[in-house]
Amino acid sequence: MTLREHDLTLPLTEDAVRALNVGDIVYLTGEIFATAGMPTHDRLLGCLDGVEDLPFDLKGGALFHLGSLNEEGEDGALRIVYMNPTTSTRFNAHMPRLIPGLGLRATGGKGGLSAESAKAMAEAGCVYLAFLGGGAEIITAGIRRVTGIGWPEMISHYRIARIEVDRLGPLTVGIDAHGNSIYDRTTAAALDKRQAILEEMRKARGA
Amino acid sequence: MAITDEMILHATKELYSRALRKVPEDAKAALAQAMTTETDETARHTLELQLRSAELAEKKDRFVCSDSGVPVYFVKVGAGAELKCDFKTSIRAGYEELVDTIEPPMLKHVTNPLTLERSYHGKDMPIVSYDFESGIDYVEIICSPKALGSGRWAAMELFTFPSLEEIETYILDVAIKAGAQHCPPVVMGVGIGGTFDHCAGLAKKQTLRKIGTTNPDPALAAMEERLFRAVNALGFGPMGTGGDTTVLGVHVDYASGHGFTPVAVAFNCWINRRTSVKIWGDGRMEWGE
Repeated sequence: MTLREHDLTLPLTEDAVRALNVGDIVYLTGEIFATAGMPTHDRLLGCLDGVEDLPFDLKGGALFHLGSLNEEGEDGALRIVYMNPTTSTRFNAHMPRLIPGLGLRATGGKGGLSAESAKAMAEAGCVYLAFLGGGAEIITAGIRRVTGIGWPEMISHYRIARIEVDRLGPLTVGIDAHGNSIYDRTTAAALDKRQAILEEMRKARGA
Repeated sequence: MAITDEMILHATKELYSRALRKVPEDAKAALAQAMTTETDETARHTLELQLRSAELAEKKDRFVCSDSGVPVYFVKVGAGAELKCDFKTSIRAGYEELVDTIEPPMLKHVTNPLTLERSYHGKDMPIVSYDFESGIDYVEIICSPKALGSGRWAAMELFTFPSLEEIETYILDVAIKAGAQHCPPVVMGVGIGGTFDHCAGLAKKQTLRKIGTTNPDPALAAMEERLFRAVNALGFGPMGTGGDTTVLGVHVDYASGHGFTPVAVAFNCWINRRTSVKIWGDGRMEWGE
């Protein structure tokens, strides 16, 4: 069996998103948004409540949980030195509202999102793409250029970076737009196996 | 001839910098070994990516992960080591110099837990523990920068005269709760007994033991084998997309205690950041991982 691979161009259409299944491999070309900040996610919720304006229009966009060392050079040029995913489950409380509220077609990072987010993704037509944790050089290699930095007053990894990428990946579809989550599936399977595993351990102890 | 502040400062800087760029050889060997036994296609793909990531970072002299963590050092002072140094001041100075000069720069991960403000500096940073050892004439320093992914899922529980079954069930349940949040395949360090603080230290130190080494205590070796099989049977797999490889090793140590028995579990993510150096008074520095 070989893994299904998709070369996708951003912004993603709903059809393209719905065609993806958990376990598929994806490469992305086009513009993404990246932030790793908890305060950033709080601010994004604030934007939905009309507290302030969004730094970018994220409708139909791909917002990933990626921390980056980004900087504006003395010549005003923006650059990213390295980029790598952060733990998405930290944003379990934010994502069920941010996915439909911002109109996201893709989100991602590492570690997946809760069942509530998976439900929001199925309704909105959005996928979760898993990046390799500790894959900084592989991920950074996909960056073509930085096209904007939102909320530059925040520390580097909290800002929202808008980045043009060229075959960013490989990424794994962790949650598809049909309500399937690799994370919920593996957790449920582990809990199912728990009693049998404990029994094996008991036998191995010779008790 | 004695170990000086300059030597400690240099070691502190260099150990952290090296830990961010190089996946230890034993961890790479364990990942490569897992590739040969792993039955899940996606899992093999992830293991291959992990090895490629390690190779690229090493070749380009860049960080493997963007989360450079918080600085953690373990110092072991040999009874025969000749000292002319102030460890606390030199280690702090080495870390400060590292933060100012490291290329590429690190992100700010040192967090004030009361205000959630982040910077490079903060109370009790770097985190250093000191130990003494008889029969050696050097100082050994181990650096293991701790990031969120693997730091967050450590756990401890205190039992009263627990059976082995209770202990092992708890360890399995900690593994289930952590799932794949700690960037597997991980190394799992377990401490049993002692006191609250000592037990946590045992677990932490076991995450630093080389993968593939056999526990000299046959009872612990057997426990490690049982837990290794059990946790891998859970099926979380590399980065949690399913598979047979969730742990690369389970390492257990114990200490005598009272009838209240702490059991602690700590993790190290797949990149297994750890570097070490032995320093002698004549200026020799032997770097390891």
